[in-house]
Amino acid sequence: MFIRVQLPWNVIIPAENLDVEGLMLKKSIVNRLLDEFAGKKATKDFGYFLAITTLDNIGEGKVRPQTGDVLFPVVFSAVTFKIFRGEVIQGVVQKVLKHGVFLSCGPLENAYLSNTKMPDYNYVTGENPVFLSEKQSKIEKETVVRVMVIGTKWLEAERQFQALVSLEGDYLGPL
Amino acid sequence: MSGEEEENAAELKIGDEFLKAKCLMNCEVALILEHKYEQLQQMSDDPTNQISQVFEKSLQYVKRFSRYKNPDAVRQVREILSRYQLAEFELCVLGNLCPETVEEAIAMVPSIKTKGRGHDDEAIEKMLNDLSLVKKFE
Repeated sequence: MFIRVQLPWNVIIPAENLDVEGLMLKKSIVNRLLDEFAGKKATKDFGYFLAITTLDNIGEGKVRPQTGDVLFPVVFSAVTFKIFRGEVIQGVVQKVLKHGVFLSCGPLENAYLSNTKMPDYNYVTGENPVFLSEKQSKIEKETVVRVMVIGTKWLEAERQFQALVSLEGDYLGPL
Repeated sequence: MSGEEEENAAELKIGDEFLKAKCLMNCEVALILEHKYEQLQQMSDDPTNQISQVFEKSLQYVKRFSRYKNPDAVRQVREILSRYQLAEFELCVLGNLCPETVEEAIAMVPSIKTKGRGHDDEAIEKMLNDLSLVKKFE
């Protein structure tokens, strides 16, 4: 689910970037914030960081004694993407393996659909392996599949999420 | 939130902070990100720095999975769904998946049928009809 959140952040402006002109300073703060935001990628609590929509407040700068850099506490609004257990999402099949398929869903790259969670489907090997159901419904690379999230996991080192998804339920499956 | 074990969006247990947070439909995110993309290209000397992979993948995804493209239609969808006392989360799942039948809507958002919510099948049916009208006239 995409969410609008408001977040506090500390922006540090190196002493050499400080300028007597207030306008330039604001531009430095905004640029620094945009760079850091894009580099952050995701957090466990808020999910993937997509884009800053508004800069809501820039607090008073505090000079850091050792370096002369200035720290500005800012508050901004942003759009993030987080998955929840029990949520129904649409994913796109990226990889078909014998024991299941990997789907992507926006910034989420690893949603795993195990063959145990799609009991009606059988693996068919070949150059382009597929999962086929008795009703001839097919899951292959690039297929859009509607799935339910049954588990999520935050990977701190990679700063990303993994999800386990399932086809067990009404109105789930390839579209 | 008291513990991850208890999270279950199907029962609308997603933690207070997210229950109150404003959720966005894919089509709304598409409008925001497209606007942002143009803005970043204009204002930055080196836009590649500030357009992250997360941004790019999300933009691709919401463009592909937006049921409504036209900004007026997007506004109407939110307005229609807002009349039905839905949680933000429920509203957006419905707006994203556009179920065609009452049964399908309940399968996608089981929490709308929990006790005391007052969503009988007729109300849900009316909501789905209103939504399909927006699509038709987009």
